[in-house]
Amino acid sequence: MCDITAVLTVDLLAQVLDWLHDSRDLKSCRLVSRAFLQAERMHRRAIRPLRLGPLPVLLRRYVGSLQSLDLSSCPSLDDSALSLSIPCPNNLLSVSLSRATGVTWRGLEVLASVCPRIEAIDISHCVGFGDREAAAVAKACWLKELRIDKCLNVTDVGLAKVAVGCSRLEKLGIKWCFEISEIGIDLLVKKCLELRELDISYLKVGNESLRSIASLSKLEDLALVGCEYIDDEGLYFLSNGNCSLQSIDISRCENVTSVGLTTLAEGQQRLRKINAGNCSPVLTSTFVSKLCTLGDTLIILKLDKLQLLASALEIVGKNCRNLLEIGLSKCNGVNDEGISWLVEGCTNLSTIDLTCCLLVTDKSLLSIAACCRGVKCLRLESCVLISEKGLDQIASCCMDLKEIDLTDCNVNDNALKCLSRCSELLVLKIGLCSGVSDIGLSFIGTNCSKLLELDLYRCTAITDDGLAAISNGCKRLKKLNLCYCNQISDTGLAHLQLEELSDLELRGMVRITSSGITAMAMGCRSLTQLDLKRCYSIDDAGMWALAQYTENLRQLTISYCTVTGLGLCHILGSLRCLQDVKMVHLSWVSIEGFELALRASCGKLKKVKLLGKLQDVLSSELLQTLQARGCRIRWVNKPLVFKG
Amino acid sequence: MCMKQIIGEPGIDLSSDSKMDLKLTRNSESFHKPNSSNHNLNSFNQASQYFPNLSPTNFLSRAENLQQNLKTKSTNSFEPNLNSGMATQNPPLDWDPHAMLSNLSFLEQKIHEVQSLVQSIIDQQAEFSSRPSELATRQQLATADLTCIIIQLISTAGSLLPSIKNTLLSNNPALRQLVNPDFNNNLKCEGLIRNFPETARNSEYEDLLRNLDNEADWMKEPNPPPQSDIVDANPIDEHDLKESDDGDAEREHLPPGSYIVLQLEKEEILAPHTHFCVICGKGFKRDANLRMHMRGHGDEYKTPAALAKPSKEPGSDAHPVTRYSCPFVGCKRNKEHKKFQPLKTILCVKNHYKRSHCDKSYTCSRCHAKKFSVIADLKTHEKHCGRDKWQCSCGTTFSRKDKLFGHVALFQGHTPALPMDEVKASGSGQGNDDMTEDLGGYNGNFASEECLTSMDVKGIDESRAYFSPMNFDGFGALDEFGRGGFDLEDNPFAFIPSGFGQRSGDS
Repeated sequence: MCDITAVLTVDLLAQVLDWLHDSRDLKSCRLVSRAFLQAERMHRRAIRPLRLGPLPVLLRRYVGSLQSLDLSSCPSLDDSALSLSIPCPNNLLSVSLSRATGVTWRGLEVLASVCPRIEAIDISHCVGFGDREAAAVAKACWLKELRIDKCLNVTDVGLAKVAVGCSRLEKLGIKWCFEISEIGIDLLVKKCLELRELDISYLKVGNESLRSIASLSKLEDLALVGCEYIDDEGLYFLSNGNCSLQSIDISRCENVTSVGLTTLAEGQQRLRKINAGNCSPVLTSTFVSKLCTLGDTLIILKLDKLQLLASALEIVGKNCRNLLEIGLSKCNGVNDEGISWLVEGCTNLSTIDLTCCLLVTDKSLLSIAACCRGVKCLRLESCVLISEKGLDQIASCCMDLKEIDLTDCNVNDNALKCLSRCSELLVLKIGLCSGVSDIGLSFIGTNCSKLLELDLYRCTAITDDGLAAISNGCKRLKKLNLCYCNQISDTGLAHLQLEELSDLELRGMVRITSSGITAMAMGCRSLTQLDLKRCYSIDDAGMWALAQYTENLRQLTISYCTVTGLGLCHILGSLRCLQDVKMVHLSWVSIEGFELALRASCGKLKKVKLLGKLQDVLSSELLQTLQARGCRIRWVNKPLVFKG
Repeated sequence: MCMKQIIGEPGIDLSSDSKMDLKLTRNSESFHKPNSSNHNLNSFNQASQYFPNLSPTNFLSRAENLQQNLKTKSTNSFEPNLNSGMATQNPPLDWDPHAMLSNLSFLEQKIHEVQSLVQSIIDQQAEFSSRPSELATRQQLATADLTCIIIQLISTAGSLLPSIKNTLLSNNPALRQLVNPDFNNNLKCEGLIRNFPETARNSEYEDLLRNLDNEADWMKEPNPPPQSDIVDANPIDEHDLKESDDGDAEREHLPPGSYIVLQLEKEEILAPHTHFCVICGKGFKRDANLRMHMRGHGDEYKTPAALAKPSKEPGSDAHPVTRYSCPFVGCKRNKEHKKFQPLKTILCVKNHYKRSHCDKSYTCSRCHAKKFSVIADLKTHEKHCGRDKWQCSCGTTFSRKDKLFGHVALFQGHTPALPMDEVKASGSGQGNDDMTEDLGGYNGNFASEECLTSMDVKGIDESRAYFSPMNFDGFGALDEFGRGGFDLEDNPFAFIPSGFGQRSGDS
């Protein structure tokens, strides 16, 4: 057999690989031959290991070309593990340590010193991190992108360290860093003049910060979600500042009214994305009429929960002709007339969010189908007046539809039959639609083979046959929600042979037992999240199966299961990726069982949910050890009530 | 005749404010004015003619009192021997209610006279047109009477006013300048005598004050208006006046027995407020503050009489110098003590008693270590406490975060230092040294403050390695180096000046 590389050079192979995005496809490619492996090795820029174990081998293979290393999924990552994980020398440009609660500032200092040219660091959601960690990160002086979201102990001092140390910063996220005040923001603005993206959502800063931020001449993207101390005056500063914003998110800013939005629209003429959802309850027409001055530049507009009249939508439709995405969730005034005016103007719309627009009927769907043929995403949750008639029109006109949310819309099998014509469908949500039965699912299973996500929450009419149809048809499913579909039994679960399924919710399925779980686990080896809450019949045998087959399981909910201490110990001890376990009301597990299980898992767990009563019974030494390793324990005080 | 009577009397204290008296007496001794007639005296004489019952002694003492409180030189009509007679230890002659009453009756009578005079001018206007000389005579008579009223009014009210007037005007030169010029002009153009009746019509307190001040200026006016017969008076040296005798009692070296010793009870000393508003119940430490507060309760509390200092009890006049004793037996400030040192004012007593004999109940909210019994002491301390809380990498410390951040914003490369305790805690941790050794191979720049703080004296030789020329290629290292020296007091490199790393880095 001739060498394939003689025909297909490494360059050409690399070009082929550029088109492969799915990890499974890449894996198949690697397995072709040594030459393919070599090509893949040279081509790969980023890795995201799930465990630390194989990392040294991987690093040896990829070190030359590797630019991006994502360690956020690795359990038991601490300073020493981190310093071993990073090869030296390397060409790393980006490292993600999100949720790496076991790492401290020492590890970060190693990282900063070992990767001299590093440009992006993500330490978000490391809730224990503070100024010392920020100071360690600040030693990476070439940093362009930094995320320290939810590092709860970072104060102005830490931010100042970053601002002084990393003056080339272009993107910075300090969302939820509650300790940061206006003084810190002011210094940041003075030191980091290159900032293009800034996220200060949920910070307790006021208008003075916006006055400083407005002086950043390169700023394009600003997120101010839930900044309760910011009001119209702050937006006035922004509109008169040096920056020419392209995107602004001011959702949930309770004190921002239409006056502020109007001044912003007047001052910032290059705005492309506006999210003004959940601001003030009243939106006068002045703001919407100012939007017409933005005209063609605007592509994303979110006005969730604002009071909108049909005339306002008419103005948007007439002026913002290039709009790609509109969010009108919970806008009470939106009706069919408004929608028809909107879509007549904005024919390029690809995402339309009409969640909880209770007045919307089939007429709206008809006008959308008539005008916006390129629509890709439709969110129609709780639009109770729509029926299969409208959906039929959508399905026949919008062939590109990829995502549709029909939760709580009372759709039936006929609607699914219509929708199944959209063969490109990736996401389908039909939760709470009790009219959907196996017949409807069989249409989906037959035609929508590309489906990635299916939500069947409380579709109580579905039985084992429906699940079988889905499992046989939609082989690429990554996410499946079957909560409270209590007609499904072990037989149906046994049909679930989905290699790519990573997220499965089986909450409240009272009929399934350990044998069903075993069959499912054997088929779905890639599971990372599994919810078995209130599956009362699942016992230790199910745990054994999970421990054996789903070794990538990261999140597990087994509250109310009839698991004993032995099963708990086994699963917590064997699953190497397990990081988040919810185990409330495990009545069959003794205190010693919990002690042993938690000890067995020590070092891996980042989040544990336990019954509050155990707080006093479990040994304090164990709890301290857990917390010292970066594990957060949530104590729940709920009475034991059996439902279903 | 009556003048001589006063002058000859040595024991008259002309002021209620003994401090001021001491000063003025000293000053006025140096003034020796030729005897000359004076407008004031003229009117006084006139007054005594009109009102024979009026005691001239009181009259003159009022006038003198007023003038002194206005911080003007006492008019030369008062002879030096009068001034020398105002010795500090003489009992002050304060106002007598009977005299005050007679003064007021005199004023009333006088006003009635002027009223009838002016009325007659109006009534006989037609006749006067043919006899202008008679009109002029009557007008002169009226103005003379009015002048007399003014003087009497001022001298009557004068004893009540000085404290308020002083605080209002003497401490506020701007206000004084604002008030004065147009009046001086008026004086120059029309003369004082014509000016007075007009202003006297205003019974408003402010106007009264203005008049008083104006009169004071008029009296020390170097070039008096030609129409008036005021004699030139030497202006008083301002510096002398501004000196206030705030010295301690022991510096006075008062001979024992030359003063009265009062001893307040403990409860009295510790009572937070001694003056209470009868309307709203708000308490005040000082009666003056209460009086100011009362103004808010209505116009009736805004009258000069209501605002004036309440008169002292006649009995208290007998004690010119009062000193205080601490009620704590055995204390040096207690009168039973062998080397008794009296306290000068009630405030001194209060502060002394709280500081020396009370629990220190006020704790500093910043350092939580210092305690105080007097809240003013706490406030003074808090101004300076926590100075070292906010530190820059260059070693400079700030008491406030915004000041530090302003500094950091100004200087390139400076960063806020992390809190010291955290540095020490983490720096002393095990594994840190291992980590830094590992890092040595990676990057010479890893000479952070943590390394410096974690090393002890034995580690000096090892740590020298961190200061190899390698370190000086990056600014960060220098920065940290300078900072390391100052994060820890007993750091072996503490002798390196803070600016060292900084300067090298900037160049």
